[in-house]
Amino acid sequence: MTKKAFWGLFACAVVGALFLRTFRLDVRPMHSDEANQAVKFGDLLERGEYRYDPKDHHGPTLYYLTLPVARALAGKSLAAVSETTLRLVPAIFGTGLLLLLLLFFGGLTREAVFSAAFLAGLSPALTYYSRFYIQEIVLVFFLAGLMAAGWKYFQTRSGWWAAAAGFAAGMMYATKETSVILFGAIAGAAVIDHLLRPKPAKPQPLKWPAALLHVVLFLASGSITAWLFFTSFLKNPKGLIDSVHAFGIYFSRAGEAGVHAQPWFYYIKTLLYSQFGHGPVWSEAFIVALAVAGSIFAFGSEPGKDGHPRLVRFIFSFTVLALAAYSVIPYKTPWNLLPFYLGVILLAGNGAGLLWRAGRFMVVKVIVLSIMAPGILNLAYQDHRANFVDYANPTNPYVYAQTIPDFIKLIRAVEGIAAGHPEHERMLIKVVAPPDETWPLPWYLRRFTRVGYWTDIAQAGDLRDAPVVIAAAAFSGEAGRDLDSGYQSAFYGLRPEVVLSLYARQDLWNAYLKVRTAKESAKPGR
Amino acid sequence: MKRALCSISIALLGLALVLPTAGTGSQDQMKETLKLQLPKPMFVGTPKNIRTPNLEPITGKPRGPFLVPVGTVLLSAGKPVTASDKEPVIGELSFITDGKKSGEDGYYVELGPGLQWVQIDLGKSQALSAIVVWHYHSQARVYRDVVVQVSDDKDFIGGVTTLYNNDHDNTSGLGIGKDKEYIETFEGKLVDAKGVKARYVRLCSAGNTSNDMNHYVEVEVYGLPAK
Repeated sequence: MTKKAFWGLFACAVVGALFLRTFRLDVRPMHSDEANQAVKFGDLLERGEYRYDPKDHHGPTLYYLTLPVARALAGKSLAAVSETTLRLVPAIFGTGLLLLLLLFFGGLTREAVFSAAFLAGLSPALTYYSRFYIQEIVLVFFLAGLMAAGWKYFQTRSGWWAAAAGFAAGMMYATKETSVILFGAIAGAAVIDHLLRPKPAKPQPLKWPAALLHVVLFLASGSITAWLFFTSFLKNPKGLIDSVHAFGIYFSRAGEAGVHAQPWFYYIKTLLYSQFGHGPVWSEAFIVALAVAGSIFAFGSEPGKDGHPRLVRFIFSFTVLALAAYSVIPYKTPWNLLPFYLGVILLAGNGAGLLWRAGRFMVVKVIVLSIMAPGILNLAYQDHRANFVDYANPTNPYVYAQTIPDFIKLIRAVEGIAAGHPEHERMLIKVVAPPDETWPLPWYLRRFTRVGYWTDIAQAGDLRDAPVVIAAAAFSGEAGRDLDSGYQSAFYGLRPEVVLSLYARQDLWNAYLKVRTAKESAKPGR
Repeated sequence: MKRALCSISIALLGLALVLPTAGTGSQDQMKETLKLQLPKPMFVGTPKNIRTPNLEPITGKPRGPFLVPVGTVLLSAGKPVTASDKEPVIGELSFITDGKKSGEDGYYVELGPGLQWVQIDLGKSQALSAIVVWHYHSQARVYRDVVVQVSDDKDFIGGVTTLYNNDHDNTSGLGIGKDKEYIETFEGKLVDAKGVKARYVRLCSAGNTSNDMNHYVEVEVYGLPAK
């Protein structure tokens, strides 16, 4: 592949990935985890307050990285921030990930780098979670940064790259606690690389004073980065200690797993073959197959035209170790597959690059491409389905405890009722639901200034004080009795199997229906 | 003197008018808006992901006994069923009266999105006691705009009796219903037919809280067989 062709194709891959990650970002209702992050971010946006919470939240980076985007697009009020604004942050990092792949030049061929970027851009899993306001894609971005900076350091022995790798590691640690699993996998891969290194090693290792300086640079850069973020930029000195305490909480959760317990092969199965009920078959086996092909090169010895075997071996070892570690932990959610999937994507890029380079003649290249075309088309089709059709459908393997679109009807009803209430957004709303059936209500009701949340109906006082009551199904019997007369009730879905009931004062409900009917009648074609 | 008396009278009248006003004013000043400390939402981790069937009822309370006239039998078993959706997405219309009420796949018929109806032909007009409908009970969900009507007219143009209607916003165009929505359970929804005589039973719905589709596992019509 010529340089010109590479840059043209690579630019197309980045633009395509950016489109897939940013188009109709608001189409999927907010997941309860996204809403949770969003409301936590609201404290930082509106009051400049952030304190690391080791119990219910991951690290600080997502919130701080959202700050400039939200300030630029929505100002200082959470009410003005939209789902699109928030999801732009993972979308930017999900696209930026492709650019980081350029740093692997020298270890991977042009064909491999382009293929890896193309596959990363088109992967349904990577696209789905690049449109999801949680920490995972940010973690993967800095993981790629750490690996790339490590590779550049290996090539150049430059202190700058040591510091850059330290910064990426610090950002990983400040993003999510599971970064320690990845540090372990990276360390393991480095040990394997060291054991299998050719002798004499090329390039020669540094002598100890310079090597020690680079280790200090790496550690200092990483520690300062993590320290600044966890201490809320020195406002909360306890934050860094809390980040260590968090491991106790996360280790116990990982062991217990509870409702998130899955068999060891969950991630492998999710990537290779998923089908639920009457839903379609989902598979990223094409990428995995290319990764297997690309891994064969890991066992070569000499660097040459086809890249550097030590880099491929390192990525291969990291991928296997990280997959093993994530698989052993009983606690599993589909987005946790992303970090080791980065390794799979890099290896798949290498595999595709090797296949491309295997044919010296254009005829062979055409044959290779025509063999790969069905796999690429299938990926594109799945990417479209996963993100723009089945984005909330439980048959999509990346949909996990997702808020269903019916929930939006509840929010529209509450907004419509409030429009007819004299106090509008100051209208009192009482929510009575257990915490796991409360979210993402706090995000969607963020513009309302008088919303109370109770987990026990007995503590919510007289429900008739409020013109609007939202209750979990478990409380709908009691709430229904209290609000039997003078209130209209309606059920709305929150997630599969989870239903919320809305009670609205009858006069407000009637007024809302009147307005809604008039609006619908005014629509063209009716 | 007159002028002085007049002045005093006006002054007293003015005072009398001002005093109660002043009193109310001071009352107003003593009031303030009640500042409620509303509880904030509790943060919680990722909720449970559900893809598996759940056959348990949500309320946990079984339905109480429903009394019917002596001699009441199941009239709908094996009776022909028609529907607004001629080609169901999943299953057959005959599932609705085949007596099988399992919540698993393979026992329900899925009709297209939006407003749809199914209709059972009982063969002849009979006194109906109860109609029980199971839409889809392997998952807690609520079907929207459920309307149960009976008639001797197969086109439901004349002589229509509405037995149940929870379409609170009249999206079905069959009138605003006052009945409550309900969460599907394995017990099904029992509708009191109140002895009304009819040959045809029509059930409408317009999607559910999980998706826009309409489902039926079974419909049972009980009544006194015509002699």
